[in-house]
Amino acid sequence: MRLALPKPSWSWASLPALIVVWGLAASQVPAYVLPQPWAVVAEALRWLGNGSLGQHVGASLLRELAGYGAAAIAALILGVAGAVSLSFRKFAGPLIGLFMAVPPIAWAPLCMIVFGLGNLAIVVVIFIASVFPMTIAMQEGFLAIRSGHVRAARTLGARRWQLLRHVYLPASLPFLTASLRIGFGQAWRALVAAEMLGASQGIGWMVAMGGQIGNTTQVLLGIAIIGFTAWLAESLVFRRMERHYRTWHLNEGTYS
Amino acid sequence: MNLAPAGAMFLVDDIHYRYPGGQEVFRGLGLRARPGEFIAVLGPSGCGKTTLMNLLSGFLAPQTGSVTVNGQPVHPEMAALGYVFQSPHLFPWLSVLDNVRFGLRMAGQMDDAAQRSRALEFLTLVGLRDAVHKLPHELSGGMQQRVALARALVLEPKLLLLDEPFAALDAITRASMNEELLRLWARLGQTVVFITHDIEEAVFLADRVVVLDVAPAGIHSELTIDLPRPRCLRETRRLSAFGDYTDTLMARISTIVATASGPSPTAAQRISA
Repeated sequence: MRLALPKPSWSWASLPALIVVWGLAASQVPAYVLPQPWAVVAEALRWLGNGSLGQHVGASLLRELAGYGAAAIAALILGVAGAVSLSFRKFAGPLIGLFMAVPPIAWAPLCMIVFGLGNLAIVVVIFIASVFPMTIAMQEGFLAIRSGHVRAARTLGARRWQLLRHVYLPASLPFLTASLRIGFGQAWRALVAAEMLGASQGIGWMVAMGGQIGNTTQVLLGIAIIGFTAWLAESLVFRRMERHYRTWHLNEGTYS
Repeated sequence: MNLAPAGAMFLVDDIHYRYPGGQEVFRGLGLRARPGEFIAVLGPSGCGKTTLMNLLSGFLAPQTGSVTVNGQPVHPEMAALGYVFQSPHLFPWLSVLDNVRFGLRMAGQMDDAAQRSRALEFLTLVGLRDAVHKLPHELSGGMQQRVALARALVLEPKLLLLDEPFAALDAITRASMNEELLRLWARLGQTVVFITHDIEEAVFLADRVVVLDVAPAGIHSELTIDLPRPRCLRETRRLSAFGDYTDTLMARISTIVATASGPSPTAAQRISA
C-alpha cells in the first residue's frame, strides 16, 4: 500500500537556520562586533521592561500611520482622476515617473530644512515614498475594471450612483488592497531611513543611535523589530484581505 | 409564473453612423421587428457588428436616424431592453442568485424575498436551480451564459438583444443552448434580435434572417425562414428547406465577401448586385 505523504515544506526551517548561522558566526567574533541571538533577546526584554521599546515602536507606528494614511487618501484621489481623465493621466504620468525615480530618502534633508527636525518632516518623507506607487497601482486597477461589467450593469438598469456602488466599488476592492500593501512597504522603508537621519526616538533612531555608540545589540534589536513589524502587517492584515478576494478574482481569467 | 405580455415593436429607422475618426460604418440602415418576432442578423466579418449592437442598444447614438422600442428612443438602461453579451460578464463578486437578482435590486420595486424567489424562478427556467449559491467562476462557460440569460430575462424585457451569445461555446453546448433559447422565447414571447456569424444558427433560430453588407452600408437582403415550430436541432436540420435556406445565405455571403475584396465598388454597383 502506498501512502500519499504530503510534500514537506521547508519554510518552517528558514528562521531557525538563520539563527543557527548567526550563533555560529557570533561565536567566532567578539560580542561587541556581533552579539549572540540570546543577547539581543535579553536586550529586548530590558527595553520592554523599562517601557522604552513601546515608546519607540509607538512613535514609529504613529508617523507611519500619519504619512501612509494621508498618502493612501491622496493616491485614491489621484488614481481615480487618472483613470477618469486621459488628459490628467498624460499630464501626471511623467511627474509621477520622475518622483518614483528618486529614492524617497533623498527628500529627507530638504524636508528637514523646510519642516524642521521632527515628526512632520518624517511624515512628509513617508508620504512622498508611498503616494506615487499607490497612485500608479490604483489607477491601473481602475482602468482594468471590465467595461463589460459596467455595460452589463447598465443594461440591467443601473444608474450612475448604482454603478459606483454596485460595480466600481466591489470591482476595485482587490486591487485597492494590493496597492495599500505596496504603499505600506514603501512607507515603512522610508520611515526607518528618515528616522535614522533626523529623529529623537523611533525604531530607526534606535538603529542609528546604536551604531553611533557602538552598541551592536541595540542595532540588531532595531533591525529585528523593523522586520517583525512589517511581517506582522503583511501577514495579519494584507495577506488576509487579499486571500478574501482571491476566490472571485480567479474568475477573471477563465472566461472573457 | 405570470409572464409578461408579448414583445415590443423594434424600429431601426435609416441610421447613419460614422466613427469619430471619420470612417463611415452604416449608411441608411433600416430594420423593423414585429412584436414577438425572432430576427437573426447575419454579417460577414468586418460588417461593423459590434458598432451595430452598440447602436441598437443605445450605447452609441447614430448621427442621423433613430432606434426606437415601442416608439421610445432606445437607451441601455431602459426596462424594455434586455441584452446578452458574447461574454457572460457575470459579476464575479456575487453568487449566481445575486447575479440574477441584480437588475431587480437596481429597480428596487420588490422586497428582498420577492426578488429572491423571482430570481430563483428564472434560474429554474434555465435549469440552474442547483447552482444558485455558487460563484460564477465555479460554472462552465455554457452555465455562465445561462445565468446571463436568466439575469436578462428576469426583468421581463420586451426586446432581447443577443450579441453572438453562444459563439464562445463548444458545438454541443451551443446546439443545446440554441434549443433552450427557442424554448424560452416560445414561453416568454419577447421580440428577439440575435446577431451571429453562423449561417446554420441563424436559419435554425429565426423567423427572418437579415444579411448585413460590408461597411459602409446598410442591409444587403432579407430571407424569411418558413420552417415549422417548435424546432429541434435533430429534426429541423434534416428538412430539405433547411439546407436550401443555408445554401441561399451562403451564396449571398460569398457574393458580399467577393465584392468587398474586389475593386472597390460604387454604391450604385452594390445596389444593382
